[in-house]
Amino acid sequence: MEAPVLEMKNISKRFDMTQALDNVSLALHSGQIHALVGENGAGKSTLIKIMTGVYRPDQGEVLLDGKPVVVHNSQQAQALGIAAIYQEPMVYPDLNVAENIFISHRDRGPIVRWGRMYKDAEAILAKLDVKLDVRMAARGLTLAAQQAVEIAKAISLNVRILIMDEPTASLSAHEVVQLFKLVRSLRNQGVAVLFIGHRLEEVLDIADRITVLRDGKWISSRPREEASAEKVIRDMVGREVSEFFAKGASQRGELLMSVRNLGKEGVFQGIDFDVYRGEVLGFAGLIGSHRTDVGLALFGVEPADQGEILLQGRPHKIRSPQEALRLGIAYATEDRRKLGLTMPMSIASNISLPMLPRYLNGLGLIRRRAEVDTAEEFRKRLSIRTPSVMDSVERLSGGNQQKVMLSKWLNADPKLLIFDEPTRGIDVGAKAEVHHMISDLAQQGLAVILISSDLPEVLAMSDRILVMREGRQMGIFDHAEATQEMLMTAAMGQANPMAVTITSAR
Amino acid sequence: MSARTSFFSLVWQRLKSWEGFLIVILALVFVLNSLVAPNYLSVGNQINLFILNIERIIVAITMTFLIINGEIDLSAPSIMGLAACVTAYLFNAGTDFGTALLIAMSIGLACGLFNGFWIAIVGLNSLVVTLAMLISYRGLARVFLEDRSISQFPGWFNFLGQKNLVGPFPLALIIFFLLLIFAVIVLHYSGFGRKVFVIGNNKDVARYSGVKVPRVKIILYIASGLVSALAGLLLAARLGAVRGDLALGFELDIITMVLLGGVSIFGGSGSLYGVFLSIMIVLNIRNGLSLANYSGHVQTAVIGILLIGSVLIPNLAGEVRVKLNRRRQIGRSQDTAAEI
Amino acid sequence: MNFLIRRFRPEQIRELFLVFLIFLVVVFFSIEIEGYFNARFVNRLSTSVVVVAILAVGQTLVFLTRNFDLSVGSIVGVTAYYVGWQLWHHPEIPPMAAVLLAIGYGMLMGSINGLLVAYGRVPSIITTIGTLAIYRSFLVESTHAVPITTNNLPDWIVDLPTVSLFGVGVLEFRALFAIMVLVVIVFQFMLNYLPFGRRLYAIGSNPDAARVAGFPAQRIVFMAFLLSGGLAGLAGFIFLSRFGNISVLAGIGLEFASIAAVVVGGVSNMGGSGTVVGAFLGALLIDLLENSLFRWQVISEFWRDAILGMLILAAVAIDHVVIGRLRTIWARAGLQMKTEEQQDKPEVESHVG
Repeated sequence: MEAPVLEMKNISKRFDMTQALDNVSLALHSGQIHALVGENGAGKSTLIKIMTGVYRPDQGEVLLDGKPVVVHNSQQAQALGIAAIYQEPMVYPDLNVAENIFISHRDRGPIVRWGRMYKDAEAILAKLDVKLDVRMAARGLTLAAQQAVEIAKAISLNVRILIMDEPTASLSAHEVVQLFKLVRSLRNQGVAVLFIGHRLEEVLDIADRITVLRDGKWISSRPREEASAEKVIRDMVGREVSEFFAKGASQRGELLMSVRNLGKEGVFQGIDFDVYRGEVLGFAGLIGSHRTDVGLALFGVEPADQGEILLQGRPHKIRSPQEALRLGIAYATEDRRKLGLTMPMSIASNISLPMLPRYLNGLGLIRRRAEVDTAEEFRKRLSIRTPSVMDSVERLSGGNQQKVMLSKWLNADPKLLIFDEPTRGIDVGAKAEVHHMISDLAQQGLAVILISSDLPEVLAMSDRILVMREGRQMGIFDHAEATQEMLMTAAMGQANPMAVTITSAR
Repeated sequence: MSARTSFFSLVWQRLKSWEGFLIVILALVFVLNSLVAPNYLSVGNQINLFILNIERIIVAITMTFLIINGEIDLSAPSIMGLAACVTAYLFNAGTDFGTALLIAMSIGLACGLFNGFWIAIVGLNSLVVTLAMLISYRGLARVFLEDRSISQFPGWFNFLGQKNLVGPFPLALIIFFLLLIFAVIVLHYSGFGRKVFVIGNNKDVARYSGVKVPRVKIILYIASGLVSALAGLLLAARLGAVRGDLALGFELDIITMVLLGGVSIFGGSGSLYGVFLSIMIVLNIRNGLSLANYSGHVQTAVIGILLIGSVLIPNLAGEVRVKLNRRRQIGRSQDTAAEI
Repeated sequence: MNFLIRRFRPEQIRELFLVFLIFLVVVFFSIEIEGYFNARFVNRLSTSVVVVAILAVGQTLVFLTRNFDLSVGSIVGVTAYYVGWQLWHHPEIPPMAAVLLAIGYGMLMGSINGLLVAYGRVPSIITTIGTLAIYRSFLVESTHAVPITTNNLPDWIVDLPTVSLFGVGVLEFRALFAIMVLVVIVFQFMLNYLPFGRRLYAIGSNPDAARVAGFPAQRIVFMAFLLSGGLAGLAGFIFLSRFGNISVLAGIGLEFASIAAVVVGGVSNMGGSGTVVGAFLGALLIDLLENSLFRWQVISEFWRDAILGMLILAAVAIDHVVIGRLRTIWARAGLQMKTEEQQDKPEVESHVG
């Protein structure tokens, strides 16, 4: 086995009271895709930050080509051939693609030569087999295209070690396939890739070697052939846990909502479905299929302009979130940091917000005691781990923040709860809890719409699955009959104005 | 947790230390001023200070709401001037004074509504819009009065503006305190105030949580317009005369008072208690320097330095702390490298 | 159409739109006012626009990084006064030295702004509101309010506004105008072709990415304020030349004028987009309107500011609505082109984990 190109030896790092890393070692070899897995808080991002020069280790050393090196900042990391790509691509929306690729170069001369930049950019993209207009502003690119630009940027800097931190979190299955093609081609060109991800089937697909961290400690490191999902999960969690909560049988209740020919100009059209109490209706599709837009229309944030929404037989025009809430519809967004919670505010204040009128007295003043009581109820009910409901939500872990957001909506007594990517970026342990919760809610008689790009998740959790592609409805599948292949075919199939419905008659 | 703990626990912590800082500064200012003028610390003196600047302070109250909400209103002093000029013009042209006052207040409302429309409904940037309207409303004020100055007001108007109403307090001061109390209750204890903070913190979260964001913003701008108009009239009454440049340049002082009070320019945090303390600091600094014969420009400069310093020093302190930590780390890893 | 979308960005359409507006204004006033558009008017305009245009160039640099510079008015006042003072007491100072002195003063004040904003991390609104007052008070206190008057200044600087480099018939290409044109060209070049200029855009476009990418963001923001200060110094020199009589209140309000010009010129206050040429056109449009309204008998001159404010509002509103729509169309068209290209490729077989 040839020598590793980058080696982290016995790295320890402490932040105040937390030992983020405790004697962790990791070796990256050129031409190898090394996956690093672990729950949130296991120490993965700290390790990466040490590699890229954001932090310095308290103990241990970093060896590049066998020689000890101290990475002081990201510029130096770049010079050493270390590049990192994160979940949110860091593109400059006002600059064009070519400039995005070359903007951090320091050796292109004192004057910017646009013609040459465009040519060079096209060459790099060709090497990656990616088709993009290099003159186009990055603002117009899809997330996947932006990531391709990031990779092109790394290649242009002659990257030797490419770190990919959850690059697939916002991609659809199809885009993941394309991305993995890119990554494999990089590996074949000799790049050492460090891949961090939460989706186990992806990790097992792409990795040559899998290392598991838990609570800042190194647990195991195996070549792909010796690894299996059960082994990896066991190492990550420290106990036997099944990856997905198998959904219990649903007791389908009465018809709650019917959506007929719902459409929004330029975004989506022809959406047609029923949803019943006690069932989980999954929304599957590729990114860009505009499922979130349908959710936003049902919640009144971006109202539809055609079609009907019928609740218990009566049509309603939902034009604002207040109206939706009044009708019993709630929506838990996919981006809980930016859209779901007010970070500096306390847990109690976040939970009460949609129902604020309920917590006001006759003069319009806030009844704090009532707020705190409600928050305590939810703390117990959902096992939110926090010293006090008066603490700021900023301090909570991702999973607990998700619970606070869920409390917020449950507090609104919804009849229909729309979940948009509820387990994105959450580790396996917390994911199972969220699934459990969703299943419970359905069993208690709520209607649930589950928007998810995670096909196994959608399949495991849903009673029926609606597939969308590019704003159009491709079909509704029954749980019993659907397979991942069927769903994927529908999600990628030809856009057909006549929605094909494959369900057992009910 | 006792029920007395504020619902913004994290923000409150920070504010507690900011207000503590302001109290220290205020004490310092009092001490320094007492050195310049031995009988400085008297209630009468403070009241006088407030009276001389009362119009600015009144507008600072609504400005606080707006900045916490993540917006700003640079046009407030221009609305002050416009309201005063319109009143003077109408009265001079023969309109009944009471009617003229009413019209002036409705102009304040209209200006606020106009501002609110472009910012809350169309979605334009409030700095740029209110900057444009600062120019526009001032220009309108000049259209009415041109180069003239009008000073023949009804006796009762001048009386209310200049004489004390209840004890040592003139009408303007009473209005200020009533407004302040009302504002504190609304901002820190009511549902509406909570919405103001949430919107300032993150407009989208507020929207997704069912808060009617445009409505709150329009209400704030209308309030700002009305209060500015009222302040303009009070200023006219106190001065006894109105010119086209009434309240010119007030925006700097008003914004400084609010920002020095611990309200973040980015929105989402701050308190009226801090703003009140900062008002006292600003007024007393001006007064002290003026007693020591320093010009108005120097006073403004000192306040500017204080404003910059109040943000700069905590930043620098934070950075020094980080650098010290880093040095500790490097020292340690140098040791381990030597061992290996 | 595709060619257009590829070659022209919305910002360039914006510039063309401004030129069109200027043209409209000229046509309108030519109809309304007799003897309006003649060489004398153009000559006068070419001189009156210079100060604000140069300030607008500096303000553009600052805006691109998502900051504001509200202190330029005070910088103009201070440099105009101090250079005037030096020329008064040392009339032998050569012109070039005077210009460099003005720029130097400006850079000094700009560097203080830059230090506070870039390294002290004090938000630029707060910093420049403070330095606006501090510089002005420095001027007032250190000079004891003695004004500079034209009598005390050497002839060359008092006559400078009328100096013209060459003439085309009655139209003169004045020296001051030439300075401005030079500034606009140099800085437009810098923004388009120098790495420093491109980094200004990058920092405003995505400050987080710039930080992670290791740009010397602090140094770049510092430079933006330094240059803004230097340009304000140059504007101060020209201010001195144009007006001659400088009181300690000189330059008050110019910061608002420069921001107005920049906003009308299409520079985004969110950073990342806008051009120096656009800012110049904004300054030109505003100055044109001011000068035209001044001569329009129909309404009193006191309407000038009211209309000016409305113009700025209109510019921002149109930008927001139209450019926003244009951007979406651009993005959608780009996406469409990409999808079209992709559809030409054979369909990928379904892959599932």
